[in-house]
Amino acid sequence: MNSESDSAVMRQVQAGQTGQLAVLFERYHGALFRYLVQLSRDRSLAEDLTQEVFFRVLKYAASYDPSLAFPVWLYRMARNAYFDALKKRRGEVAGMELNDMRSEEPAPEEVFARKQDAGFLGEALAQLPEDKRELLVLSRFHNLRYQDIASILKVEAGTVKVRAYRALKELREKFCELRGERLYDV
Amino acid sequence: MSEPLREQIAAYLADQLTPAEKQAFERELERDPELRIEFAELEATWQELGRLPEEQPSAALRARFYQKLHDIDSGRASVPGRGFAWWKPGLSGLVRQAAAAIVLLLLGWFAGRESLRRAITPAGDTGELRSEVQDLRRTVALTMLDKESPSSRLEGVSWSTRVDKLDPQLLTALVNTLNQDGNTNVRLSALDALEKFSDEPGVRKQLIDSLGVQKSPLVQIALIDALVHMRDRDATGELQKLSKGADVNAAVQQRAKWGLEKLKS
Repeated sequence: MNSESDSAVMRQVQAGQTGQLAVLFERYHGALFRYLVQLSRDRSLAEDLTQEVFFRVLKYAASYDPSLAFPVWLYRMARNAYFDALKKRRGEVAGMELNDMRSEEPAPEEVFARKQDAGFLGEALAQLPEDKRELLVLSRFHNLRYQDIASILKVEAGTVKVRAYRALKELREKFCELRGERLYDV
Repeated sequence: MSEPLREQIAAYLADQLTPAEKQAFERELERDPELRIEFAELEATWQELGRLPEEQPSAALRARFYQKLHDIDSGRASVPGRGFAWWKPGLSGLVRQAAAAIVLLLLGWFAGRESLRRAITPAGDTGELRSEVQDLRRTVALTMLDKESPSSRLEGVSWSTRVDKLDPQLLTALVNTLNQDGNTNVRLSALDALEKFSDEPGVRKQLIDSLGVQKSPLVQIALIDALVHMRDRDATGELQKLSKGADVNAAVQQRAKWGLEKLKS
């Protein structure tokens, strides 16, 4: 199996071996997609952006600095791509996804799933403000170090530590709220 | 309980504290009952968070990526840029225009037939109309799947996902595309389409059988991922063969082992 480091592969991409982009795609597209799904809560947009990010890697390959961990650079780029897409859609879509999701009549199997704790937790996570959700996703699902998260979000590592606590606490509160409401309803 | 200590709970759970900070936090945890309660609550949430199901991208994402990379390599696309350039000159543009023409032709045929039907029959039957639409989608899918150009066949696969139910003919066409199409991207798209119908009879068995047929590591890995995602334990036999096969690609072997582990758990 190919065990070349990310920066070695990036050097090849920088040298014009565009095919090597596939190596990075295979390593990171799943994680990047999950990050973008959590951020946007839109699978279709997340797929489009996942692809776009890898072609941005190609476009900006020359600016990659190997002293920066490749995933940090990649997640930064994904974040920028997401906010660019958001800007484009702002006005026409702002708030639409959340409102649409809430106004839809849930399917019976979805109602059942939401009665499970995982369903409540997923919903609580979706309801967190974007910055808190993003931080928890990077920390819990992507196992990134606070230092790396700080670098992606362009804040101090100490700030990440405090925000992570507040985000987790708010998640817990929302989760309990949802579970309580639903349990009383049943 | 002091605020800075509480603020270390998430960092402790994420293993982000230095050894000294960790020790100090654990000492305080022993001593402070309030901190213990809050820690236990947040730890439960943290653990539960780790058990949330992982979202998986569709196989079509991989197919689209490799198609675009191939286009860039062969100079048919620029970097970056999104979406299809229908107006672009060159072979790829022509193929897409031809595909669009076929679709428009079939839509025209359908519209004509439908207006004739309405003219000679009384009040419309919505059930029948729905069935006509399904029939049209199926016809377009089968027509496009039979085309020579990979782009048209990709369109065909896309149309196949718009039918409510797979009939034997469309199932066979998709399975043939998955197993025999000369283009990896088309095979991956067919897999993606079949995955959408995985609850229909016969589909899962066809996917499992396909594992023994595929030669492309990309398709093999996508198939393994799909079967693991469906948690289909009937795939165990084929996965074992792949995990031990002497002539199997190392990445596929490893993915098959990963799949076996996942299906066991």
